[in-house]
Amino acid sequence: MDSYDAAESTPRQSASLKLKDYFIGTTPLQKRLESVRKQTSFVRTPPRRKIPQCSQQQEDVDPQKVAFLLHKQWTLYSLTPLYKFSYSNFKEYSKLLNAFIAAEKQKGLAVEVGDDFNIKVIFSTLLGMKGTQKDPEAFLVQILSKSQLPSEHREGKVLWTGWFCCIFGDSLLETVSEDFTCLPLFLANGAETNTAIIGTWFQKTFDCYFRPLAINAFNLSWMAAMWTACKMDRYMATTEFLWSVPCSPQSLDISYAIHPEDAKALWDSVHKTPGEVTQEEVDLFMDCLYSHFHRHFKIHLSATRLVRVSTSVAAAHTDGRIKILCHKYLIGVLAYLTELAVFQIE
Amino acid sequence: MDETVAEFFRRTILKIPMTEMMTILKAWNFLSENQLQTVNFRQRKESLVQDLVLLCQEKHASLNDAALLDIVYTQFHRHQKVWDVFQMSKGAGGDTDLFDMEQFKNSFKKILQRALKNVTVSFRDAEENAVWIRIAWGTQYRKPNQYKPAYVVYYSQTPYAFTSSSQLKSNLPLLAQTFETHNSTTPLQERSLGLDINMDSRIIHENKIEKERVQRVTQEIFGDYPQPRLEFAQYKLETKFKSDLNGGILADREEPLRCLVKFSSPHLLEALKSLAPAGIADAPLSPLLTCIPNKGMNYFKIRDK
Repeated sequence: MDSYDAAESTPRQSASLKLKDYFIGTTPLQKRLESVRKQTSFVRTPPRRKIPQCSQQQEDVDPQKVAFLLHKQWTLYSLTPLYKFSYSNFKEYSKLLNAFIAAEKQKGLAVEVGDDFNIKVIFSTLLGMKGTQKDPEAFLVQILSKSQLPSEHREGKVLWTGWFCCIFGDSLLETVSEDFTCLPLFLANGAETNTAIIGTWFQKTFDCYFRPLAINAFNLSWMAAMWTACKMDRYMATTEFLWSVPCSPQSLDISYAIHPEDAKALWDSVHKTPGEVTQEEVDLFMDCLYSHFHRHFKIHLSATRLVRVSTSVAAAHTDGRIKILCHKYLIGVLAYLTELAVFQIE
Repeated sequence: MDETVAEFFRRTILKIPMTEMMTILKAWNFLSENQLQTVNFRQRKESLVQDLVLLCQEKHASLNDAALLDIVYTQFHRHQKVWDVFQMSKGAGGDTDLFDMEQFKNSFKKILQRALKNVTVSFRDAEENAVWIRIAWGTQYRKPNQYKPAYVVYYSQTPYAFTSSSQLKSNLPLLAQTFETHNSTTPLQERSLGLDINMDSRIIHENKIEKERVQRVTQEIFGDYPQPRLEFAQYKLETKFKSDLNGGILADREEPLRCLVKFSSPHLLEALKSLAPAGIADAPLSPLLTCIPNKGMNYFKIRDK
């Protein structure tokens, strides 16, 4: 056990001068990062957002029905509106997609070890996955393996899942005509090769376009603040941040985990506007975490790259991967992601 | 053949692994194919070595031939040595002189022999205009020690030279002189990692003084040599939140913030060393990090006193 008196560690310069330097940005690198950050916040993204609440709509959704969406890692994509897509053609789409996959696999593309051609594609609607009534219905595509033995369950194992949704997509919905269906957020779980095949079919059939949805450090910070702001009865996971340090020649990863109750206490101390999260509050929340870290280690985390944030509500990675842990705030998390997807499309 | 030379041959050949024996002897090119065929390479190593030494004696091999064999062996085992790199900097107005390898070797040998009474200098050309120089040092009154030679590998079309030997450090200035005299360039300078000399006078360094201070402090803490290899450090923090600038945040809270910080990297200490010079951390770095090698710990629990 190692004792260390933090107070005695302050260098010759006074503590307040240190923090002032830190905020202004002494090094050229920090200065650049500050300006980039300000730039991102100026374009498009709102200076305030509503804290995710557990809406009435959400209460109606059967938690069991959406349980399969939780605790899974989803890779995110933005999707442009689908042309002449119809919810009543699901059976037809299943057949066509099934045939397409079989053809692709026989072509020798996307060969997987242990793959059998006995697969089944199912389209289904995901009820209740919307923000307002105007949002189109979310739907699900699944690839299941058809089991060989008759004694086994007919349905077989789920090999791949992809779902399309739109949560509070008002800004996009207003811009498109009747022929288009707007489901800008696409989430996929399963082999990358399957995602590619399914994506190709959708792009060909509905004249749409998938793009991987990355989440930059700015939005990760927002997510961390918003999810910390959510009221939780009990915490299931620690609040954790992961930074990647751009030093050469060796890479360095810094993981900073804080007890969720302490993170909440810090947030409550920062938070001023009820029901809303503002840019200033997000900045202050992150700055507090940075300065606590700096006090101990003399490292400026703001000069490094935030790569992952994880809370009891959800975990997000900068490469565009998300894991949702709490069904209560599922809609809230999806709303933010829809916003990012719409921003990428427009 | 001199006793000592025979012994030198014996020991040098004995060093060579059996699997490489034929390859190295062929590369050495002193014993002919026919002669090598008369030797039984399947016998025990000691006997094989005896036979080979006899062959060398018959062919009147000299000390220099033995030194050449030593060079060949070292060329095959260069990865087992630690090499220092030196860069020669040209004086103002210097352009590429026409390089004469033979002249270089002659003057190199002459200079060393003039300066030191007892020295063995041998050369062997290698790929890409490189020359391997083997130097065995003696003293005023003692013959050169053939078992602790120094090697210098000089790539003639470049300003770089590689050296290997612990004994070399004291003789470095002399070596530098030999290069200088031949090339008429400014003396060898150890390649400095740090602030670059300005190539273009229009490019200036901001915060030059601060940069130099950071370099100096970092060097004082971490030293010049490679850091011990470490991949992981973990800190359990239970300290109160204190912030003068963010006035009042958590001011009333008695309980500390419970944090767990983990650093991971393929080479953690080298990465930490590079943080201050990169502007990502302050110099001096926190004692929490710099104490790792001294304390020999990488798991810490930190509390307010």
